[in-house]
Amino acid sequence: MENSEIGKYTKSFGLSFAITSVVSALLVIIKESSEEGVLALMKAITGHHWVTQGLFNLILFVALGWAFSRANKGEGMKMSANGLVSYIVGAVVISGVLISGFYLLH
Amino acid sequence: MDNNVILLIHPALGGIATLAALWVFVDTLNVSEASRSRIKNVSVLCAVLMWLTYIIGGYWYVVHYAPEKAIIKAGPWPFAHGFFMETKEHVFLMLLLLATYLPIAASGNIATSKAARKVVLWVAGLIVPISLSMEGSGAILSVAVKIGLLFKQAQGG
Repeated sequence: MENSEIGKYTKSFGLSFAITSVVSALLVIIKESSEEGVLALMKAITGHHWVTQGLFNLILFVALGWAFSRANKGEGMKMSANGLVSYIVGAVVISGVLISGFYLLH
Repeated sequence: MDNNVILLIHPALGGIATLAALWVFVDTLNVSEASRSRIKNVSVLCAVLMWLTYIIGGYWYVVHYAPEKAIIKAGPWPFAHGFFMETKEHVFLMLLLLATYLPIAASGNIATSKAARKVVLWVAGLIVPISLSMEGSGAILSVAVKIGLLFKQAQGG
C-alpha cells in the first residue's frame, strides 16, 4: 500500500542541508572578501580556513537538523516531499552558482 | 605514505562513493521490501566513502598542496587553481553533507512511501553529477601541474 509519508528526520535534516549549504556558500564569499578579518579568524581557529569551514558546516547541519526535528512538540516539521526536494535542489543550484560564480569573477 | 599514493586513493574512494550513490538511485527505482535494507546499507557505504575521500583529500590539500599550487599559478593554466580548485574544495563541503544526508533519507520506508522514495532519488541523483564534476576538476588540476612543470623546464627552471 503506497503512502506519502516522509520521516521527521528526513524533513528536518533535508531542510538543514539546504540552509547549511547556502550559508556555507555565502561564507565562502564573505571570507574571501575579508582576508584580514573573517579569513584570518577562520585560519586561527583550526590552522586552516577550509578545515574551520568544514567543522562549522558539520556543526550547523547537525544543530539545525536536531532543532527542526524538535519542532511541533517533537513531531517534526510539516512539509511535502515536493517542498523538501525543491529546497534541496534549489540549495544545491544556488550554492553551486554562488561559489563557481564568485571564483569565475574573482 | 607516498604523497602520490594519497592522490590516487582520494579520487578512487570518491569514484566508488559515486558508484554507491548510483547504486542507491537505480535500486530505489525498483525498491521492494526485500531490497530496503540493501539500499540503506549502500547509502551508509556512500556516506562513509565520501567522508574518507574528504579526510584523505583534505589531509593532502592542507599538508601537501602548497608546492603544486605554486607550480600551477606560475604555469600556463593558473585558472586551474583560481577557479577549479577553489570551486572544488568548497562545493565538496556541500557534497559531503549531501552524502551524509543520503542514509538519513534512505532510512524512511521507501518501499511503501512514494514521497520518501522521491527524496532518496533526488539526493542520490544529485550526488552523482556533483561527484563527477569533482573528479573532472581533479583531472584538470593534475594536467595543470604537468603543464606547469613542463613550462618551468622549458624556461630552464
